[in-house]
Amino acid sequence: MTPGQLLRRSVLAASGWLAAAVAPAAAQDLAAARAAVAVGEYDAAIRQLRVRLLVRTLAEVGRYDEAVAAARQYEERHPGSVAVANVLGEVLAVTGDAAAATEAFQRAAAAGGADDSLDARYNLARGHFEAGRTNRAREELEAFIDTYNRAEQLSSEELAAVAGAVRLLAAWDWRHSRDALRAYDEAIAADPDNLEARVLVGDLFLEKYEGTEAIEAYEAVLERNPRHPGALLGLARQRRFAGSPAAMDFVDRALETNLRSVDALVLRAMLWVELEDLEQAQADVERALAVNPRALDALTLAAGIAFLEGDTEGFARSRQAVFAVNPRYASFYTTLAELSVRRRLYREAVDFAERAVALDSLSWSGHQLLGINRLRIGSMDEGRASLERAFEGNRYDAWAMNTLDLLDTLETYRIERSPRFVFAIDGKEAELLAPYVSTVAEEAYDRMAARYGYRPEPPVRVEIFPDHQDFSVRTVGLAGLGALGVSFGPVVAMDSPSARDAGEFHWAATLWHEIAHTFHLGLSAHRVPRWFTEGLAVFEERRARPGWGDRISPGFLRAFRDGRLHPVSRLNNGFLRPAFPEQLIFSYYQASLVCDLIAQEHGTEALTAILRAFRDGFTNEQVFLEILGTDVADFDELFDDYVRARFAGPLSALGSAGPVSAGGGHVTSDLGRLARDRPDDFAVQLAFGRSLLADGRLDEALVPLQRAKALFPQYGGHSSPYELLARAHLERGALEDAAVELRALTALNAGHYQGLLDLADVEERLGNPAEALTALDRAMYVYPLELDPHRRLAELAEAEGRWDLAVRERRAVLALRPVDRADALYRLARALRGAGQPDAARRTVLQALEIAPGFGAAQDLLLELHDARNP
Amino acid sequence: MLIGLAIVALVRTPLAAQTYLIVVAGLGGEPVYRERFQVWGSALVSAARDTLGIADDRIVYLAEDPARDSRIDARSTKANFGTALDSIAARIEAAGRLVIVLVGHGSTTGGTPKLNLPGPDLEAADLAAWLDRFPTQEIVVLNLSSASGGWVAALSGERRIVVTATRSGTERLESLFGGYFIEALTSEGADLDKDGQVSLLEAFDYARQEVERAYDQQNRLLTEHALLDDDGDGAGVHEPDPATGDGARARQWFLTEVSTSDAGPVTDDAELAALYAEQARLETAVATLRGRKDAMDPEAYQAELERLLLALARTGRAIRERDEVPQ
Repeated sequence: MTPGQLLRRSVLAASGWLAAAVAPAAAQDLAAARAAVAVGEYDAAIRQLRVRLLVRTLAEVGRYDEAVAAARQYEERHPGSVAVANVLGEVLAVTGDAAAATEAFQRAAAAGGADDSLDARYNLARGHFEAGRTNRAREELEAFIDTYNRAEQLSSEELAAVAGAVRLLAAWDWRHSRDALRAYDEAIAADPDNLEARVLVGDLFLEKYEGTEAIEAYEAVLERNPRHPGALLGLARQRRFAGSPAAMDFVDRALETNLRSVDALVLRAMLWVELEDLEQAQADVERALAVNPRALDALTLAAGIAFLEGDTEGFARSRQAVFAVNPRYASFYTTLAELSVRRRLYREAVDFAERAVALDSLSWSGHQLLGINRLRIGSMDEGRASLERAFEGNRYDAWAMNTLDLLDTLETYRIERSPRFVFAIDGKEAELLAPYVSTVAEEAYDRMAARYGYRPEPPVRVEIFPDHQDFSVRTVGLAGLGALGVSFGPVVAMDSPSARDAGEFHWAATLWHEIAHTFHLGLSAHRVPRWFTEGLAVFEERRARPGWGDRISPGFLRAFRDGRLHPVSRLNNGFLRPAFPEQLIFSYYQASLVCDLIAQEHGTEALTAILRAFRDGFTNEQVFLEILGTDVADFDELFDDYVRARFAGPLSALGSAGPVSAGGGHVTSDLGRLARDRPDDFAVQLAFGRSLLADGRLDEALVPLQRAKALFPQYGGHSSPYELLARAHLERGALEDAAVELRALTALNAGHYQGLLDLADVEERLGNPAEALTALDRAMYVYPLELDPHRRLAELAEAEGRWDLAVRERRAVLALRPVDRADALYRLARALRGAGQPDAARRTVLQALEIAPGFGAAQDLLLELHDARNP
Repeated sequence: MLIGLAIVALVRTPLAAQTYLIVVAGLGGEPVYRERFQVWGSALVSAARDTLGIADDRIVYLAEDPARDSRIDARSTKANFGTALDSIAARIEAAGRLVIVLVGHGSTTGGTPKLNLPGPDLEAADLAAWLDRFPTQEIVVLNLSSASGGWVAALSGERRIVVTATRSGTERLESLFGGYFIEALTSEGADLDKDGQVSLLEAFDYARQEVERAYDQQNRLLTEHALLDDDGDGAGVHEPDPATGDGARARQWFLTEVSTSDAGPVTDDAELAALYAEQARLETAVATLRGRKDAMDPEAYQAELERLLLALARTGRAIRERDEVPQ
């Protein structure tokens, strides 16, 4: 056997491997029984069939003691028989009796032993592997390749054992993962009823980030056996990976079949940890350890919980227990690194991942975690090196591969600097965005540093991605994340305004929000819970400018009224396990209202004090008690009263029904009747007004729209009364009235890009150039990628003598690569001259003339600048 | 660079050449396109007559519905188009210029590029055959329809400039290029070198870049790639470079009949004539310097550029002042 040898034999007919199947225990035992029957040992066949099936079935539902007793009883009655030794060993291994399990496997694997001796050999090798005896494990595992290559025919169970063995060998050579899949496929082809092999195929796909294929494999099993604990557990893992709250449901279903499944209990404990409910997590870990006190993943999670609780003694105890079982168990540290990431403790994640790879250089997940988290704390070169190592060892690591690709992209970005920030911006838009983002970021830094009395260590790195998928990879390693920005503390990543359609998001508010997280994470030593940092970041957005940040909406108020929002005491669940799609968005706003209430009742300094309290290890409950002087349950009531009082009017105007629209069978006349019957129903009045507007009945539309506005004056979202009234007034030619509505709309909703453009236009037509200028300036912080608004703003700035602004805007025009570059340069030169920068103006007008030497106006400007310089 | 300039000089168009313009707006199919094609055609015809100086009797405007605009001469059928070309062929002088602008929906069936007209469609081969009647004239064909890429190979030739809105017959989606191209020809925004005129190359570059911007802004993949061919090799390029191939002729081609770029202004005032000569010399010097930019020390280049541009600016000022002096 030479290292690196791979499976050679051709693949058996694998095309039917997704066919229906029955229980694997029966399949395995049937095969053994058939073999016995074939040689005329009928009694032996009957006994084996009964006992193995009994032992396996008892084990599958968690009745381990009974399973062991049944096997032992059989062996007592049949001294010297090894027929059930392997299954006995498997049950003993599950319950943590490693020595007895090994003894049983050895008996089954002995020459001339049981018909499932290959399975027993695999179990022995796996035992070595899991105990950290890796050299011996590798030697024994590699023997499976020879076995496979030399055998003329292997049973389904034997092929599954080969697959398991080469799957473990993938730690040394990633190509063995392909061999494992092939052997599993052959096992399934040999016996389509081998459900265990199908589950293992699903697990293999999941390991390799192939979620769709994994789901197919698990679901094929569940079609035959809807209670199969392995398949349910696999789906739970897949859902967890996808961030779906359904993970908990699947793991619960797995536990319904086997309440003592260590794997399921550990997974559920992990889900509780992720929900930041350490008490429930601890309970499940204890249940798992009661079944198997040597279960490495359970012991590791116990250590993880202790780490998160700051219980150093408990941590040390669990760590010692883990390494007593397997002194080379790198997963101990990778799991801790993952838990740290879930709690946004990125530096700790780096520390743990470093220890993982120091303990086992073949810990590819350790290298990956080290790379990803080094990048998160801004160690770009070291992060890349770790990821390259991870990908070298595991070519199936999509996260590593995607991130390495992303790093290649990032290398093409331009680096821009401001006093406290480093910006990585795509070269195509760096020139345009840099002046805006640096201004916003520096202002955010100054204002928050003053408020929190804390200064994150500069430079904070801000990465701005024009391709949302790149941002997604930067954040979660794969495409598909829905968020706009993320803060890892020292590193912020976000969508560029060009990643979305015009007006789809307010990039400056997003940047402000993420920088707020950087402050919160730093000040709380990354211990702030998600709900509070999100709420406080939205609160900070609102403090930054009028109209920034999330806004009240009818949907939020309906959810509040109907009791579909979590109370403050459980608000974290709204972020970590939203019960319905909008709950995540509503939770941001709700958390920001909590901050409003705290600031109103206790002053804004209480918000800073809360961050410090989290840093000092306070729990949610302690924070409320110590900082706010109230029990969290009492605060739930306080908050409820606060929202009811603050939005009393809109709440009473919500009506009993959901949204009403001109679609869905309603015509204007119906809506008119409804509006007359329900004059205090916001949705009805709004729908009637919108319908009249659509019919061109502008004057009539004003009445219900004004009524809707009066009923819910805080609402400035999509199709708000302000927006519709403005449209009606514009169509009526009533500019003054339109201006009133547009001013109100954009004061409530600064992200309403079209509203800002319309307002600028109206203000200009009304002879209010300064107001038009302000509106256009605000529009740049929503969507700075259109030429005309920049040109208009530049002209207004020039007319107002605001030359610095004019220069910024003329530079923006140039950065947008106008076709008429000579003209754009000439106008920039004029603005520079106005701003008192004659040298820059001269250089710029020369650039214009280089393109168009006969450009008369530019020639005049050049002479003027030259003459002024050389009087 | 000197070689490039020499090539450019060879293709300069005679001053007195008369320009004939035929605008053919094809079938719209839907109201929005009927409206759009007619607006484009009418805008071009108006600009040709009012600002480009092309005499009314040398403009032919064919469109789907002559009732929509009094400037439309006849319905844009293939027969009417052929008749119009016959008529021009009979009148045009040997050194004349013929400009054909096609707007509408294009298609390619069985490898045959077509323009959808009322009645039988116009095929590229039909137009190629008709153009044989203009053996000595400068010909510009601007096919601004979708799926028009195949027209380049069919019409390319000596003394011809062919522009298409797309690079192949498979780019069938609605094309934006035509609108921007006509905007470029009929407004000042595309006068990129500020010489007071918009060359065909400037119009092409303007439209090409504005199309890219429009797609970019809507986060859409570019589905139209305009082509220009003016070296007669039958292959159009999306980004012409006069120094290396396509674009050299189009750079010197102006739709306006009153061209001052060719021989320069004419004057009896000797002092003014000297100034014009100096201006021309300096412009050439700037062009030469720009050609040497990559080989020069940046500071030396900047210093020389500034010196020349200042001299050019002073000359320009002197010309204006002299112009204002009563003779």
